[in-house]
Amino acid sequence: MLEVVNLYAGYGIVPVIEDVSLTARPGEILLVGGENGAGKSTLMRAIAGFNRPDRGAVRLAGRPLHGLAPERIAQAGLRLVLDGHRVFPELSVYDNLRMGAAARPGDRAGFAAAVEEIYGVFPILKERHRQYARDLSGGQQQMLALGQAFVAQPKVLLCDEPSMGLAQALLPPILAFLRHWAETGTAVVIVEQHLKVTAPYADRAMIIERGRVKFECAAGELDARLAQMAGESMR
Amino acid sequence: MAVAQAARGGQAQAAHGGQAQAANGAAARKRPRFSSDLPQVWIGIALIAITGFVPSLVGNAYWVHTFQLVNIYIAAAIFQNFLFVDAGQKSFGQGVLLGLGAYVTAIFFGLHGYPFAVAALVGLVAAFLGGLLFALPALRVQYFHLGFVTLSAAIVFPQLLMSLDRWTNGINGIPVSMPSMHKEIALGLSPLTILVALFPMAALVVHYMIRRSTLGRRMRVAAVSPEAARTLGIRPGVMRFIAFIIAAIGTGICGILYLPAVSFVSPQGFNVELSFVFFFAVVVGGRGQMLGPIVGIWVVFILPNIVLAQLVEYRLLIYGLLTLATVMAFPDGIVGTIERWRVRRAVTGRGEEAFRVDAFLDGLRGEREAAPGSDIAVEVRGGTKKFGAVVAVDEVDLKVRRGEVHGLIGANGSGKTSLLNVLSGLSRLDAGSFLINGRDATRLAADRIARMNLGRTFQTPRIFPQFSLWENLKVGIDARAGTASPDMARLAAQLEAEFAEDSAELLSHGQRRLVEVMRAMLKEATIVLFDEPAAGLSQSERANFARLVRFLSRRMGKTVILVEHDLDLVWDVADTITVMEQGRIVASGDPASVARDPAVQHMFVGGRLA
Amino acid sequence: MLSEIVIIVVRGIAIGSIFAMIAMSFNIVHGATGILNFAQGSMLVLGGFAAFFLANGVGLGWWLAMLVVSGLLVAALLAFQGWITLLPLRSSVEQDSWIISTVAVSVIVGAVLLITQGPFAYTVQGMAPPFRILGVRTPGAYALAIGCMLFWFVALRFFLRKTFIGLAISALSQDFDAARAAGLPVRRLQLIAFAISGLMVGTAGFLVAPVISVSSDAGLRYVLNGFVAAVVGGIGSNLGTLIGGPLVGVVTMLTAYRVGGAYQDLASLLVLVAILMLRPQGLFGRVSARRV
Repeated sequence: MLEVVNLYAGYGIVPVIEDVSLTARPGEILLVGGENGAGKSTLMRAIAGFNRPDRGAVRLAGRPLHGLAPERIAQAGLRLVLDGHRVFPELSVYDNLRMGAAARPGDRAGFAAAVEEIYGVFPILKERHRQYARDLSGGQQQMLALGQAFVAQPKVLLCDEPSMGLAQALLPPILAFLRHWAETGTAVVIVEQHLKVTAPYADRAMIIERGRVKFECAAGELDARLAQMAGESMR
Repeated sequence: MAVAQAARGGQAQAAHGGQAQAANGAAARKRPRFSSDLPQVWIGIALIAITGFVPSLVGNAYWVHTFQLVNIYIAAAIFQNFLFVDAGQKSFGQGVLLGLGAYVTAIFFGLHGYPFAVAALVGLVAAFLGGLLFALPALRVQYFHLGFVTLSAAIVFPQLLMSLDRWTNGINGIPVSMPSMHKEIALGLSPLTILVALFPMAALVVHYMIRRSTLGRRMRVAAVSPEAARTLGIRPGVMRFIAFIIAAIGTGICGILYLPAVSFVSPQGFNVELSFVFFFAVVVGGRGQMLGPIVGIWVVFILPNIVLAQLVEYRLLIYGLLTLATVMAFPDGIVGTIERWRVRRAVTGRGEEAFRVDAFLDGLRGEREAAPGSDIAVEVRGGTKKFGAVVAVDEVDLKVRRGEVHGLIGANGSGKTSLLNVLSGLSRLDAGSFLINGRDATRLAADRIARMNLGRTFQTPRIFPQFSLWENLKVGIDARAGTASPDMARLAAQLEAEFAEDSAELLSHGQRRLVEVMRAMLKEATIVLFDEPAAGLSQSERANFARLVRFLSRRMGKTVILVEHDLDLVWDVADTITVMEQGRIVASGDPASVARDPAVQHMFVGGRLA
Repeated sequence: MLSEIVIIVVRGIAIGSIFAMIAMSFNIVHGATGILNFAQGSMLVLGGFAAFFLANGVGLGWWLAMLVVSGLLVAALLAFQGWITLLPLRSSVEQDSWIISTVAVSVIVGAVLLITQGPFAYTVQGMAPPFRILGVRTPGAYALAIGCMLFWFVALRFFLRKTFIGLAISALSQDFDAARAAGLPVRRLQLIAFAISGLMVGTAGFLVAPVISVSSDAGLRYVLNGFVAAVVGGIGSNLGTLIGGPLVGVVTMLTAYRVGGAYQDLASLLVLVAILMLRPQGLFGRVSARRV
C-alpha cells in the first residue's frame, strides 16, 4: 500500500533522514522506534509532504506522492496525525471531526457513520461534542485527533507519538483502537517512544538511528533485538 | 554538495588530528571567506568615490548635483538596511527622519538666521526625537506593528509641514543659500561634494563596525530568535530601541546634508514616496548586503528619475513594480542573489563530525577536583504550569545542589522542557515559585535570569545562518557576565582560528546542539540547562559529551541540569536523577536507587530507554 | 454645542465603521494567512471609484446591481493579489516578504490611479437620502456605513462559525500544520479569505463613496486608520473592531473639529502609539501563549 523508497529529507540543506525505505501493508501496524532526534518525526513529515524529500520516492498504491503538498497527500488517502495531540482549539469537538471530512468530500452518509463509530469507541467525545476542543484534556484531545483522521477513512494512517503528554494508562485503549482500525484494511504506521507497551499491538517494527534504518523485524522480536543491541554497545 | 562535503570531511579528519590544529589553522584561513561584508565595503567606498568625485573632476555640473543627492540617499538607505536586517525592523518612515533633520535645520538656519552648526545640531536633535517616536513602541512590540507606525508617520509628516505653516512656511517651503559649501577648493571639488561623498562611506563603515561588534551580534540574535536572545541576557526591545535611535541619527545627518545639496525644502519633498524609495532600494539592492543600498538607490532612484526622466509621473509605478518583481523573482535582491550564488559555490562546512568538543577539552585544565556541595543552586517549590486545560508542570518540588549533574528524565511530553522554560524565564509559573542561588526568580524576565549566570540549550538548536560558525559561538562570549578566565580565552582563540570561515548552516542537528553546548560554556554560566543535548549524536560524540559534562561539574564547579533520553548517558554522568511523568515528579534520588524504583523500571527495554 | 457633539459622535462612529470594516477584512486574511494586507485601503478606494464610474446618479436597481459588481470586482482583484503574495511564501525561507509585496501593491494601485485619474478627489452622489439626528442633517451614506459594518460583522460571524468553509478558515488560523494534515485545501481557503476581504472593502468603499475621499492617495490613510482600529480592538477580534473602529473614528472627528482637519491622521498615529505602549494586545486581544 505505502511504499517509501530510499528517502532523503531534512530541513534546509542538512539531511536528517538518509536512505530510508519502508512499506506498510493494509491491515498491518508498523511500529517505528528510535531515540529523540533520530529522525522519526522528520520521516513522518517527509512522507506526508510537510518537508519535501531531497531524493527518493513515496508511493501510495503505486501512485507517487513525493513532491505533493501535504493537503493533497491527505486527500489522496494518506493521513498524518501530528504529535502533541493537535486539534483546533477554538472549534467544537464536533466541528473538529467535520474538518476531518475535508479529505473525503461529498460522502455525508459515510461521515455520519464514521462519527457514530468514533463516538462509540470514545464516548467522552460524544458527551462533550459541543464543547471547545481547548477544554479537553490531553488524552481526550489525542482521541479527537485520531477521530478526525478516522472520519477521513484514509488508506494509510501515520501516527506520530500518540502517547506524547498522555498518562501511561491512556495508551493501551488508543493502541487497541488503532489495532482495530488497521484490521479493517488500513495500513498503519505508529511512531512511538513506549516500545514495550506498543509492540504487542504491532505486526512489524523498525528502529531508526541517526537518520537511517538500524534494523527491521517482527514486532514480537523487538525486545530481544534491542537487548542484543544494548549488549553489543556495552562491549 | 555531497561531494564537497566528503572532501571537506577528509580535511576535517586531518584538522582534528589531536594537537596538529594550530598548524592547520593557517591552512584553514585560506578557505574562501564566509562573509563578503568587508570586500563589499571596499567596493562600496570605491563606487561612492567614483560617482562622488569624478563628475567634479571632469566638470560636469549636472552629474555633480545628481550624485550629491544620490549619495545622500545612499547613506539613508544604508541606515535603512542596518535597521531592516541587523535589527529586523521594517520601517516605512525613514524619509520622516531625513525630513526632520533637513526641515528643522532649514527653519533655524534659513528662517531665523542661526549659524549653520547650531541649526544643524537642532536638526539632529529633531531627527533623534522623531526616532524616539518609532523606538518607544519598539520596546513593546515588533513585526508589522512598527511597519504601520512608521508608515503612518510618513503620511502625517508632510501634512504637518503644510499645516504648521507658522513655523514651516507651509507650502512655500524654505529656500536656503550656502554659497561657501559650493565653492571649489581643489580639483573642482567643493566642500559639499566632499562631505556628501564621505558621509555614505562613513555610514558604510559604521554599519560594518556595528555588525562586527558585540552590540551588532546581539541585535541580530534578537532579530532572528527573540527567545534565544533573552536566554543570552539580551532584551530584544532594547536592541530594537537602540537600532532605531542609531538609524535616526544617521538619517538625520543625511537630512542636514540634503539642505546645502538641494538649497530648498518644501513639504512635497518629504512625502511618503521618499520613505518608499529608501525601503524599496534596500529590497531591490539586496537586504543585508553592504552593497545593497548603493545598487538599490541606483536602480530605484536613478532609473526612473534620470534615465526615464520623461516618464516622471510613472516613477511610483516603477518603484512598486520593481519591488514586487524583486520579491517574486529574486527575494535576495540584486547583490544578495550574486552573494548567494558565491556562498553556494565556495563556502562549505566539513561534513560528518565537523564540530566536535573533545579537541578543545584538552586545553582546559580547571583548578579544582570538586564534589557537589550541599547548598542549593536551583530550587522549585510547588511549581505549576498550565497550557489551557493541559497541566504541563504539576506541583513540582525540586532541589538541585551546587556543582552536581542533575539528570531530568521522563517520556516525551512529561513536562521536562516546560520546566526548563520556566527555569530560564521563558514562561511563567501559574502557581508556586522557584529560586536561583537562593534568590526568588519566579517573576524575573528571561534576560535577568540569564544575567544571574544561567545558560541553556534548546531542543531545536538556535543557529544563526548569517553568522559564521565561530560567530555563532561568540554569541556566548558576548553574553558572559565577567571577564574571561585564561583557559576560556585560549579556548576562544582556538575556536576562532578553526571556525571563522565555516558555515553553521551545514551542521547536522546533533552538531548544532553541540554548538549550543559550547556557546553556553563560553558564556561561563554557573548553572547550565541542557535540553536533550545528545539527541542525534554518534556513540563517540556522546562519549565526548559525557566527558565535557563531567569536566564542567567536577573541574569547573558548574551546576548542570540535563534533560536527556539516553539513559545510559544520564546514569553515566548524573549525581542525582529526577523522573517526571505527566508533569509530576515520580522519583528522585541517586542513580542506583532511582534505577530500582518501580516507577522507572518500565522505561527500560533491554537496558535502554525505549 | 449640542449639534457639534452630535456631528462628532454620529460622523465619528460612521467613519469609524469604515475603519472597522477594514479591520475586519484584515482579520480574516490575517487569520488564514498571517498576512496583514497593506493594500487594503487602496482596495477600499477602488470601491469608491467603482461607485463614481458605475453608479453616479443612477436608479436604485442599477445602483444595487453595481454594489454587487463592485464587491465582486474588488474580491477578484484581491484574490489575484493574494495569489501573487502567497507565491513566494511557498518556497522562500523569508516568511515576511508579504510586508514588502503588499506595500508594493498598495503603491502600484495608487500609482495607476494617479496616472489614469489624476490627483483629484472625486465626488460621488449619495443614494440614501439624508436624515436628521437631534436636528442635525446627516448624509445617508453615514447610516449606510454603520449598517454595512453591522451587516459584515454578523455575516462574518455566521460564516466563520457555521459554514464548513468558514470553520476551515478558522481552523487554518488555529493550527496551520494540523489543517494541512487534515487535508484542508489550504491555498484555496486562503484565496477565499482574500476574496471575502475584497468583497467587504469593495462593497464598503462603494457604499461610503459619497463621504470619503475618492482619490489616488487616500488608500494609505484608510489602511492606517483601519490598522489602528484593528490594534485597538485586538488583532483577530472582530468584536473588538466594533469598538476600535468607532473609537478611532470619534477621536479623528473630534480632532478635526477641535484642532483642525490636517491633524486627523496625527491623532490616529498617537492613538496607535499609545495603545501599543500601554496594551499591545488591544482591548479584546488575548496574549498568545505558545510553547518554546
